[in-house]
Amino acid sequence: MSILLALDESTQAMDEAVRLSRERGEPLMALFVLDGNWSDYTGHDWLSGSTVRGSYIEYAGQEDVKDSERLTAELRSRAEGIELEVKVVQGVVREELLKEARTGGYGLMVMAHPFWRGTATVRDTAKDLLGKLPCSLFLVNTPVRQI
Amino acid sequence: MENKGAAGGLLGIVPGLALMVGTFLFANWAEEALKPVDFLGYKQFFSRVLNLNYIIISIVMGVLYRNVIFRGTIPAFLADGFRTTRLFIKTGVIMLGSIYTLGGLAKLGFQAAFLISVFVFGSVVLVMWLGKRLNMDRSLIGVMCAACGVCGVSAAVATSPGVKAKPAEVALAIATILGFGVLTMFISPYLGNLFHFSDYQYGVWVGTGILNSGQVLAACLAFNPLVAPGTAVAYGELWNVMRVIIIPFVVFVITVWYWSGNKDDVEAQNVSLWQILKSKFPIFVLGFVGMTVLSSLGLLGQEGSETSHLLRTLMQWIFGIGMVGLGAYIDFGEIKAAGGKPLIVGLTAGTIKYVLALIMVLTIIPKSAPF
Repeated sequence: MSILLALDESTQAMDEAVRLSRERGEPLMALFVLDGNWSDYTGHDWLSGSTVRGSYIEYAGQEDVKDSERLTAELRSRAEGIELEVKVVQGVVREELLKEARTGGYGLMVMAHPFWRGTATVRDTAKDLLGKLPCSLFLVNTPVRQI
Repeated sequence: MENKGAAGGLLGIVPGLALMVGTFLFANWAEEALKPVDFLGYKQFFSRVLNLNYIIISIVMGVLYRNVIFRGTIPAFLADGFRTTRLFIKTGVIMLGSIYTLGGLAKLGFQAAFLISVFVFGSVVLVMWLGKRLNMDRSLIGVMCAACGVCGVSAAVATSPGVKAKPAEVALAIATILGFGVLTMFISPYLGNLFHFSDYQYGVWVGTGILNSGQVLAACLAFNPLVAPGTAVAYGELWNVMRVIIIPFVVFVITVWYWSGNKDDVEAQNVSLWQILKSKFPIFVLGFVGMTVLSSLGLLGQEGSETSHLLRTLMQWIFGIGMVGLGAYIDFGEIKAAGGKPLIVGLTAGTIKYVLALIMVLTIIPKSAPF
């Protein structure tokens, strides 16, 4: 069995996942989801033009790609000596996490709480996953960012 | 993303659209059925005390679908249909241009442009001040300035790339704006009745004071569901259109302000009002003005004609169906997640703007419109 890390800004969650991977001697898979929910989320924008929305969605996508590279590098620097794979997929964050957890045969999923990733920031992602995951869920308390 | 093709795409919208239309028809029926009902000792409790009409019922049904029945996510088989909401609302607003005359539009338009400019740039200055006091990130201050100053989500989305806002922070800012917008959307009709506002006063108030454009429309229709010259929606939406027109100018000011703190950055050299106007100007406004021109030329029938009656009935249907979708886009789970400094700034600036607009209407806006 391997461990699944839902990758976000939380270095605390990264460290816990790496620690568990070392202790158990199990490989770690980190999943970064490029947020594909912006089209729906900007549905609240009733009157501006599609080019404005399109420009924003493109911008958010580019920022996501930068984040995926930055956070992957951050995780790799903390995960020396363990078997680590990083997967980047696109979609609705909670749906992609659930899909990976269901198909990857994991024994444990580690994620930050609250989970800081695109539009998932405004949802209780852990609550969305509870009761649907086929594996255990380890929530790592991460102080809310002082934005 | 799955490519469904044109026919598949059209078929895909049928289930959601059917539910929206069915809900709108149900709301109409429910309004009539509840009208004569006495309750808690009050005569006609639902219509006279609660001011319940098909618009409010449509919005509430949409909210119930999203938050209770669908538990936070519109199911995939209904999602495409619900996505047509924006099309309904925008089409309705374009058609709304037909209820004005060019003369009336010019008279009210100048008043609207003046009041909107004062409130928009006043809010921008207030948010900059609040954001600095709270040591907020410069890019997030920029997003909140646009969102609180102009028209909520539309302005936040238009401004974010220019000020390099982080997507997660934009999501939080939007949740804050929506939370405030939804609250004011539900309480404004009752306050409007409490203060015995005329349609004109009410339209000016919510058009100036409510943060998000969708909620302005909903609040106007909830106050008076009629779509005709002289109704709340006629005034409120004129204010809304003015706000949307002003977006590119506000984006320019905020972007210049943002980059003034990063003068050495090469992107700071590339801020151009013309480029922003070209990319951010709301094209639908041309359709709105075009409808006014057609109406002024008498090409859409005279006042009281079959054609104008038909157009207004059609608009009521379009807005009514759109309101079901607007309700279904309100996710209390997302709004609940609003927090941090954006919440403090959004609530403070939003409340000040809402209350000042109320005071302005109570003190200087007459009951009758200036034309």
